[in-house]
Amino acid sequence: MQADAKQKLRDFVADALIKHGDRNPLADADLLFTSGRLDSFSTMNLVMFLEENFAIDFSDFEFDVGLIDSINLIERFVDTRL
Amino acid sequence: MSLASPLQATGQPPPRRSLRDFFAIDTQPRVVVFAGTPGGRALIFAIGLLAVGRYFDTWATLLAVGAALAAAWLPKYRAPLLLTATWLATLTETLLSGNDFADHIGLVMAAEGIADLPAVGLATASLLVVVIGIRALLAHVRLQPKSLLARHPVLAMLALEAALCALSLPNLLPGWPRLLIWSLLVVVTPFIWFLPYAIIDQRLPSAGPVGLQMATLRPFWSPTYLPFGKGAAYLQKFLAKTPDDLAVTQIKGIKLLVWSNLLLAIQAVLGWLFVSHFDTPAVTRTIDAFLHGQPFPITVSWVALAYSTTQFALQIAIWAHLFIGIARLAGYRLPRGSWRPLESRTLMDYFNRFHYYFKELLVDFFFIPTFFSTFRKHPRLRMFFATFMAAAVGNALWHFVRDIDLVARVGLATALETFASYAFYCVVLATGVGLSQIRANNGIRPSPTVAGKLYSFVFVWSFVVCMHLFSDGSRQHSLSERLSFLASLFGVI
Repeated sequence: MQADAKQKLRDFVADALIKHGDRNPLADADLLFTSGRLDSFSTMNLVMFLEENFAIDFSDFEFDVGLIDSINLIERFVDTRL
Repeated sequence: MSLASPLQATGQPPPRRSLRDFFAIDTQPRVVVFAGTPGGRALIFAIGLLAVGRYFDTWATLLAVGAALAAAWLPKYRAPLLLTATWLATLTETLLSGNDFADHIGLVMAAEGIADLPAVGLATASLLVVVIGIRALLAHVRLQPKSLLARHPVLAMLALEAALCALSLPNLLPGWPRLLIWSLLVVVTPFIWFLPYAIIDQRLPSAGPVGLQMATLRPFWSPTYLPFGKGAAYLQKFLAKTPDDLAVTQIKGIKLLVWSNLLLAIQAVLGWLFVSHFDTPAVTRTIDAFLHGQPFPITVSWVALAYSTTQFALQIAIWAHLFIGIARLAGYRLPRGSWRPLESRTLMDYFNRFHYYFKELLVDFFFIPTFFSTFRKHPRLRMFFATFMAAAVGNALWHFVRDIDLVARVGLATALETFASYAFYCVVLATGVGLSQIRANNGIRPSPTVAGKLYSFVFVWSFVVCMHLFSDGSRQHSLSERLSFLASLFGVI
């Protein structure tokens, strides 16, 4: 994943966290969903973000939130799908 | 360590502590350390008993608080303790006279003229069958993770519910067969929304033991139809990992239990003020009066509706805080079940905050499957339709299943007919939430100014109050009667 794309991803996640009233610092390794910082609706917003920005087709495989549970995991996931 | 006061150190007065900071005792190291000592634990136990005792009887309070704290403080025995407490609570509930299981079974016993054995006995026998059935089902899913049941657990559970309901209709299998099928339906229904979480968990490579799954089916901290804390895998993610983490989690649990009690007191005060003092009528009474041509003044009817909505919102928060508070005593730092709903800025926000675990259930079982399978090329329609499936279809199904006893009480046709009002509520709510979701995704956000916040509050809660007229669950008035009454509140009729 390019550096600017990763920054865009960080901004998107940070924005989602703020919408949830979470203004704590966000590290790339921080867990987003299994930690409870973001909820199920946010998962789908993130899925749409990844579909739009990285042309990933989520129908190709069985979705598991663990695949996109942190910025680093999302980067790894995107890199394997591109 | 410097003992200089903040004023001496900086030359500035210390920042004023907000009320929220004052109550954040879980962030104070001394309190956290104390919570882990024998004295602190005794205090947590005592406050827990006092707080939970307001809701449960003595035995159930001792079981809930004792089992939660024992599971937290004896981690080696967590699974057996939770399993024992959960099923002991269910068995006790089943054996008590006048419980829901026996009451609902009694309806068909009376209809079929069967009085050979007590309803409680039949409920207990049915519970045994259901437990064995669930155990076998979970074992099957672990062995066959690609089976239809494992891949579509919600559909499978709803099909089971529908099949049992259909087979227990009058005249199809009269007498004992109907009674036995109805008993199974009555006893399995409270587990219907827990089982999909357990089945999904069983499919995971990291699935815990079946015993732990069984322990979280209507766990002792929330003996309701709604999975507060979802399933075992979800709970595991929130389990306190260190002694300090556990102490903080338990303090948060105590705070939530105390808050629940405070809300209960507020509810009682409001009841005294509005009902005893101002003689505010129930909403059903205001509709009756309107239908009989002797309506209350519009202001009184609006106050009745707003008061009823407030009581309902308080009730949701009170029970959610109670259940999550007990779960936190057990070491699970779960998100709250209701989180500052008055601060909702949009309908979507309200849906997220008001009844968190109900929303999560709808999202997990209706929104996400729809989202991944429909309208993939049309993002807005895709989001709207998935939201609609959750907030309308899922919501309606959940409530119809919860009140399944009405099928025996008033008949299937009447149960469906009287559900029209709630179904209407679901459709309107889903449309509102769906539009709100689309607006948010298009970057339209409420103004952060004071006026903007006030506007958001008035908009969201006006909508909630108006829609409460259709969702009150009384089933006493038809949809058209409620619509006419609402029109009268706006002076249209």
